[in-house]
Amino acid sequence: MKKYSLIAPGMLVLAMAACSGETESGSSVAAGNLLTGDWDEISEAATGQEVNMYMWGGNDNINRYLDEWVAPRLKEQHGVDLNRVPVNDSQDIINQLVDEKSVGKEDGSMDIIWINGENFKAAKDNELLWGDFSGQLPNFNDYIDQEAPDIAADFGEPVNGLEAPWGKAQFVFVHDENRSENPPKSMEELAQWVEENPGQFTYPALPDFTGSAFIRQVLYETTGGYEQYQQPAAEIEDLEERFEPMWQYLNSIEPFLWREGETYPESLAKQDQLFASGEIGMTMSYDPALAASEVLKGRFPDSTRTFVLDGGTLANTHFLSIPFNSVDKAGAMVTINELMSPEAQTAKLSPENWGDLTALDFEKLSSEQQQAMNDVDLGEATLPFEELENHQLPELSADYIEIIEKGWMENVAKE
Amino acid sequence: MNKTSWLTKIILVVVLMLFIGLPFLLLVLSSISFGWQWPNILPESFSFRSWEYVLTGSSDTWRAVGFSLLIAVTVTAVNILLAVPAAKSLVRNQLRAKWLFEAIIFAPIVIPPFVAVMGIHLTFLRLGLTETVLGVVLAHLSPTLPYMVRAVVISYNTLSVDWEDQARMLGAGTISRFYHVVLPHIMPGIAAGASLSILISLSQYLITFIIGSGQVVTLPILLFPFISGGDPAIASAYSLLFAGIAILTLLGMDAALKKYYQKKKTATGKA
Repeated sequence: MKKYSLIAPGMLVLAMAACSGETESGSSVAAGNLLTGDWDEISEAATGQEVNMYMWGGNDNINRYLDEWVAPRLKEQHGVDLNRVPVNDSQDIINQLVDEKSVGKEDGSMDIIWINGENFKAAKDNELLWGDFSGQLPNFNDYIDQEAPDIAADFGEPVNGLEAPWGKAQFVFVHDENRSENPPKSMEELAQWVEENPGQFTYPALPDFTGSAFIRQVLYETTGGYEQYQQPAAEIEDLEERFEPMWQYLNSIEPFLWREGETYPESLAKQDQLFASGEIGMTMSYDPALAASEVLKGRFPDSTRTFVLDGGTLANTHFLSIPFNSVDKAGAMVTINELMSPEAQTAKLSPENWGDLTALDFEKLSSEQQQAMNDVDLGEATLPFEELENHQLPELSADYIEIIEKGWMENVAKE
Repeated sequence: MNKTSWLTKIILVVVLMLFIGLPFLLLVLSSISFGWQWPNILPESFSFRSWEYVLTGSSDTWRAVGFSLLIAVTVTAVNILLAVPAAKSLVRNQLRAKWLFEAIIFAPIVIPPFVAVMGIHLTFLRLGLTETVLGVVLAHLSPTLPYMVRAVVISYNTLSVDWEDQARMLGAGTISRFYHVVLPHIMPGIAAGASLSILISLSQYLITFIIGSGQVVTLPILLFPFISGGDPAIASAYSLLFAGIAILTLLGMDAALKKYYQKKKTATGKA
């Protein structure tokens, strides 16, 4: 009995391990051909493939756009099955790919990943991405301004065709028209507004993505523009001195912030909750149409409006990429191409679906396609296209972001 | 005396409502609120947007619920098979380095699961166990087994060897000794351990996501992005669904346990 009691669990583990031999079918067209071959061949190879798209899954509108608008069209027009996999943090998928690379797993389950900025840099540095594929996509060649700095580089990192642009985001401030009629138009005016409305303003604590973007916005306005930071941070010797006015600004508004600046909301979600419940009078977003969609959901008041600064606000592009070990690369290419089509981009623009700005170059669209985009009702809370476009500033590269986040902890949060 | 017991009862009920009932009520309100501005105590109007998303259409919630339950029940069944012999050895055998065995079995409670799961992921990748339900089940064993063993050990501690010896003298074999003497005695321990095992398995996010590589979609995989992404309505709806399923599973186990004892009673003619 004593012996059996030890053997039983061992047998069980072995038996279970034995049933797990699962194999996946390899792709029919060699990966190299997909990067040079003819588009017709690629779309033929894509038919019948199942594409797993790993993307952040915390917004029901975005989820529905993919599940109910994109997926049925892909199935009908190209015979490709799109399976959206919800992800909580893109960092997790990068870690997973690193592990898969280190053991040499060639039949990965990720076919498309949605990334930008730091995650793209990490993926590129670790060689987790498949290759220079975006030039193969007809919609990329027809509708994208490939020379534009925010398409050719992702937060300062050259894209090299490893990812294809899907949409654009821009930083906007969100306020309630009924509570503040004339929103500030510069950081100087914002400081005034904060002083006149104590307790009504705050920003998410770093390293929150949006909170960090707000600090970069302050950096541009208080230290004399973005141009000086278009080189690697290590090459600027007096960086600390240049940052000094930014820390001064942040510390000067601190006593007038929500809860007297003793604490900051830990995430944008928490800050939005404060705005939704009326506890603060202003919030911010790196998605210019998010406020409109929150109004539609009844979370933000009807009088919610967004605004940008006269000197412009940060804008960036988000991308789709294919991991090195994707099994259904042809299907992934067809899917990404379809997601970049004018029809899909127009549908994505509508706040009912998502409200994400298009990655396409407006000038390259036909007049009907332009008309269709102009006809999309962005909602009263969203600024007109043109106003957004005319107020865009380029992003900083990741090395600055690290320095700023550390500096904020030392200069602002510690007190 | 009657008065004081009434008083305690009332106080207990109030405390229970405050700490358990009220948060649930808030979750329900937040899942159906449409425009809930300070200083209103109740939402201005209601919308079933979140429930519509969670329960119907493309969200695949029911499939995820199915996978969650399948994994939790399998994990618990395996846990029982592993924990009963392990608990017996720990209690009955005079092992020389008993503390070492105990330390190994209880280590997963002390060591953060994130540390272990990174190593497990690499090993499972080599074995081809990632992206499979089996892999997820095996990975869930590590945070759940210690609780199961702990519960069964406590039951075994109160089971004297004499009872088994007596059954042996009366001619009972190994199997019937276990079935008629040991099992009824350790059943409460198994039930307690199984409840913990099911609850812990149901609530795993990181282990499931990493080992399942997104191909094994359980309820927490759908729920987590909404909690951190800040859609309180949908996060509330998912949380309520999650709580409901956990409670139903526990009630189901309770009912099965009661049935077992009833059958035992009638079988031995004590009823």
